[in-house]
Amino acid sequence: MANSIVALRAYRDGLHLIIKPHLSITEIEKAIQEEISRMNRPLNGASIQIDLKAPTLQEEEMAYLRSKLKETYNLTVREFMVASEEPAPPPIAAAPTTHIITQAVNPPDSRESEPSRIIPYTIRSGQTEDFPQGSLIIYGDVNSGAEVRAGGDIVVLGALRGNAHAGMNGRLSSVIIAMNLVPMQLQISNYLNRIPIGEKSRGYPEIARIGKEDVIIVERFVKF
Amino acid sequence: MGRVIVVTSGKGGVGKTTSTANLGTALALLGKTVVVVDADVGLRNLDIVMGLESRIVYTSMDVIDKQCELSKALVRDRRVDGLTLLAASQKNNKDDIQPAQMKAICDKLRSTHDFVLVDSPAGIERGFSNASAGADEAIVVTTPDVSAIRDADRIIGLLQHARIEPINLVLNRFSPELVGNGSMMDQADVMDILNIDLLGIVPEDTGVITSTNRGIPLVYEETSAGAQAYMRIARRLTGQQIPIPDLEQKGLFTSILNWFTRKS
Ligand SMILES: Nc1ncnc2c1ncn2[C@@H]1O[C@H](COP(=O)(O)OP(=O)(O)OP(=O)(O)O)[C@@H](O)[C@H]1O
Ligand SMILES: [Mg+2]
Repeated sequence: MANSIVALRAYRDGLHLIIKPHLSITEIEKAIQEEISRMNRPLNGASIQIDLKAPTLQEEEMAYLRSKLKETYNLTVREFMVASEEPAPPPIAAAPTTHIITQAVNPPDSRESEPSRIIPYTIRSGQTEDFPQGSLIIYGDVNSGAEVRAGGDIVVLGALRGNAHAGMNGRLSSVIIAMNLVPMQLQISNYLNRIPIGEKSRGYPEIARIGKEDVIIVERFVKF
Repeated sequence: MGRVIVVTSGKGGVGKTTSTANLGTALALLGKTVVVVDADVGLRNLDIVMGLESRIVYTSMDVIDKQCELSKALVRDRRVDGLTLLAASQKNNKDDIQPAQMKAICDKLRSTHDFVLVDSPAGIERGFSNASAGADEAIVVTTPDVSAIRDADRIIGLLQHARIEPINLVLNRFSPELVGNGSMMDQADVMDILNIDLLGIVPEDTGVITSTNRGIPLVYEETSAGAQAYMRIARRLTGQQIPIPDLEQKGLFTSILNWFTRKS
């Protein structure tokens, strides 16, 4: 689905816009427009890093892109990273989000004192599980059309295909972990993912959390 | 005591009526006494698929209204011993029947038949609760597409809630070619999501349409792939251990390859 000229990715350190080499500035502009229009909410105010796969853009073209992104999408370019010709490591995730409401106070991390609830079955389409008091642990799948919401973390020991909302009480350190993370929609506190995370499992457990730059990042879950 | 099995799906048009007619006929061909019950009040068509529409005099509504005895409302299928149909009223709608009334009918039918197969209407409303009211088991029919599967998942949740068990799956309109070229979900993907027992896979078969139009269930067409699939499912329902043949001709390697080449 992602157009092959540019790609927006969420890394640990924030949003990156990756641009393929050997393209005209018009092609790049058009591709950026397409990539951004795929999102259902604007990336207003976010700061991004531009990764160039090879040094094929002129200084003035970079300056042009910088002002164009600011003007058109209100995106601030942190910096341009120009890679040497060899390919960069694969992205950790493809799940930028937007900051919906600014969180004024950050409640203390209460993971250890929170209660948790175990759901020992699969949650199917049309079913919901809510546990605002703490974390939810699901010994099954959360299927497409199902919804789980927790005050704290959500851990799915199966496939997460539906919607999950962790940290509904505002705990920004809340995470969503699934053996198979292929959700429709993720929300942590008031951050919502906007680029689809993908419908095919990557074959290893993953963790979603709020990273820098107001984005939900998704990465391989190794240990906490 | 016979078994009451509701054939249901959530999404419409996935093959509930086709499956009810064919499994009913197949079970009768295996020597069982079977009644197929149309629970699609107001939109009945099991009678057409069975080719019995011209012989219907009474419906389940007449039985409920005490216009006739239950045994008199059963239309006998003359092509095979032990198979009858209880038709739905076409004049009424689904709210004219209460779940308790359907349950009472199913309970009576169970005492005189080995199998009572109830053809459920699509949806999760009254029609579904009526159809499942008297059932102890369910067959969920789905096609291998995401919307049918999501609706099947919804129905499975409702059936589990109603403590109807076992719930078995029939995967209908399966096309090995489409799975092979990566444009249809394969069996493993479907089973991974729905996570219930697979009763059988029915291939996409143009014979279904001609048999529907002629009112002769496909299972009489012994050489067709669809007929053989329904016969195998019927045997499994009677407790025979029949392995599910691998309809996916293309190997695993091809599907993995397809998966990678399908999108960037
Ligand atoms: N295996 C198959 N191969 C080809 N066509 C099929 C197959 N199964 C069903 N069909 C066709 O799909 C259509 C719908 O089938 P059917 O009426 O059995 O579905 P249904 O689930 O009962 O629908 P409804 O929800 O309206 O009651 C029919 O035209 C039928 O001929
Ligand atoms: Mg039908």
